[in-house]
Amino acid sequence: MKKVVAVLLTAMLLLTGCGGGGAASGEDAVEKYGSDTLKVYNWGEYIGENVISNFEKEFGVKVVYEVFDSNEMMYTKLQAGDSYDVLVPSDYMIERLIKEDMLQELDLSLIPNISNLADGVKNLPYDPDNTYSVPYFWGSVGIVYNQNNVDLADLEAEGYSILKDTKYAGKIYMYDSERDSFMVAFKALGYSMNTQNEDEIQAAYEWLLEQRQTMDPAYVADEVIDGMINGNKDMAVVYSGDAATILAENDDMRFFMPNEGTNLWSDAMVIPANAENPKLAHEFINYILSYDASLDNSETVGYASSNQEVLDELSSEGGYFEGNEAYLPRDGYDKDEVFEDNQVLKERLTQLWIKVKAGEQ
Amino acid sequence: MKQFRNMALPYIVWSVIMIILPMLLIVMYAFTEKGNDVLTFKVTLNNFIRFFSDPIFLDVLKRSLWVAVITTVMCLLLGYPVAYMIAQTSGRKKVMLVLLITIPMWINMLVRTYAWVGILQDKGLINTILGFFGLGPITLIYTDFAVILGMVYNFIPFMILQIYTSLSKMDKSYLEAASDLGANKLQSFLNITLPLSLPGVLSGITLVFLPAVSSFFIPKMLGGGQYVLIGNVIESQFLTSGNWNFGSAISLIMAVIIMISLYITKKVDKTGQSEGGK
Repeated sequence: MKKVVAVLLTAMLLLTGCGGGGAASGEDAVEKYGSDTLKVYNWGEYIGENVISNFEKEFGVKVVYEVFDSNEMMYTKLQAGDSYDVLVPSDYMIERLIKEDMLQELDLSLIPNISNLADGVKNLPYDPDNTYSVPYFWGSVGIVYNQNNVDLADLEAEGYSILKDTKYAGKIYMYDSERDSFMVAFKALGYSMNTQNEDEIQAAYEWLLEQRQTMDPAYVADEVIDGMINGNKDMAVVYSGDAATILAENDDMRFFMPNEGTNLWSDAMVIPANAENPKLAHEFINYILSYDASLDNSETVGYASSNQEVLDELSSEGGYFEGNEAYLPRDGYDKDEVFEDNQVLKERLTQLWIKVKAGEQ
Repeated sequence: MKQFRNMALPYIVWSVIMIILPMLLIVMYAFTEKGNDVLTFKVTLNNFIRFFSDPIFLDVLKRSLWVAVITTVMCLLLGYPVAYMIAQTSGRKKVMLVLLITIPMWINMLVRTYAWVGILQDKGLINTILGFFGLGPITLIYTDFAVILGMVYNFIPFMILQIYTSLSKMDKSYLEAASDLGANKLQSFLNITLPLSLPGVLSGITLVFLPAVSSFFIPKMLGGGQYVLIGNVIESQFLTSGNWNFGSAISLIMAVIIMISLYITKKVDKTGQSEGGK
């Protein structure tokens, strides 16, 4: 008798459980999470086509989805008092938000899918135990080049210094942000990209200034994707995920990771301290880590997934990014670094970067 | 009468919230800087000192003014004949021509500038056509030419419409009187049409110069990031380095420059009018 009751109870539980999941409605969500609206603030063009609508359907909630195009823009809005439930900032910005007490600790028991995390995004220096953040995408920065016009031997011999090889003058795109440009210069000179040594900063500034004078580079942001797909220039400093997109669209383009090291970055999901709906936010983070959502995200956007299974599948034989050397980030190379948060350095580099760009032609 | 005065109240409240308050905030930010934890901000002139003591910012300012002046002159030289021509026509044709000038303005400026990127690109429309005839490729994008082209293209409708309006308001009987008195076409243009269209020219200049001097999107898109104008510096202070104080100070300096140029235009306008009335 007892057994029968137990079976019945389990069946009922399962049924009600299914009811909650399958045919969820706004009321169920309110009961379960306290609200049926989730506010997500993410990078532009950074999510799979059906991820939001599937999440809404499955959990019977409404997602208010907004996008930003720089960490600083996101930070500015957050400081202005706007409230979101889930944000997706980058490594150094998460470090800053943690320092300034603007995030809440995650309840990892609500995020069982954290066991799916890819090896490359475990134990990241800014949040080693995932106390505040769960990785979303990750990648590196490298050089996309046109294999018909750029000699791979030159790239291998010169590394980042090829961006100052006058053989290719007028043929390169640089990334228009102080962080990424100074990373290139620091690495080309053999320094750490988190250096605070004034001599090294000055040397990097001169490197960039000289590059501007001798190479006539175009400083662009997202335009680099279209520019390289159309083959307007022969070389470009590009984020790995954008590079994966370029390579998928134009067969002449290849991706090269200089031996001098690169910026190993990651963007991760966090819940701000003033979030109105943290329970549902946990559910969303867990959902993003699931196989289906991760696959949709990574396939659509081209950045490396934080889900190991998806990462393996997309980069292996028959996978969507098979043979695309830009998709899978280099892992465990000791010259690759993660950006650290340093306001003083950042401000200094911003001013120097304006000088590089405004310098006399 | 009193009732009507009360009706202005919502407008006053609105303008206080939307115009005066933000202006005050800019002034406040411009004269302060981030302090320590105890005193969150302190009053200072450092932001202004920094701007005027660093040659790079003065260079950028000079370049912005120069680009704006060139743009305005180009708009005037190209826009005046067009406006004159439209004012000469009549009826349906006139309506059509005015419409043609206005239609591009229905499309967002950003989109139109992106279109120019596609046209001027190294492998864009022009170079593809040139390549078809075995010519080129020539570098068009990320040059001074591209930036000025983008500016003139975006702002010239303001110039044309202003001049056209003042030309079409002109009383034609002046011209008839002039020809009765034996003036030739050039004389009547120089002595009658030109002075009477001056108010339109001046407001056209204002409407082109002001957006041109503070524009940051066009130089960014068509100048390939190498073309830093004052608008770009302000943008980077707010969005990249997060230094609102310095950004506000530069905005304030720009506001003062714009006010001075408005004042000068007004002055010229007044003297022009008194001359025209002679």
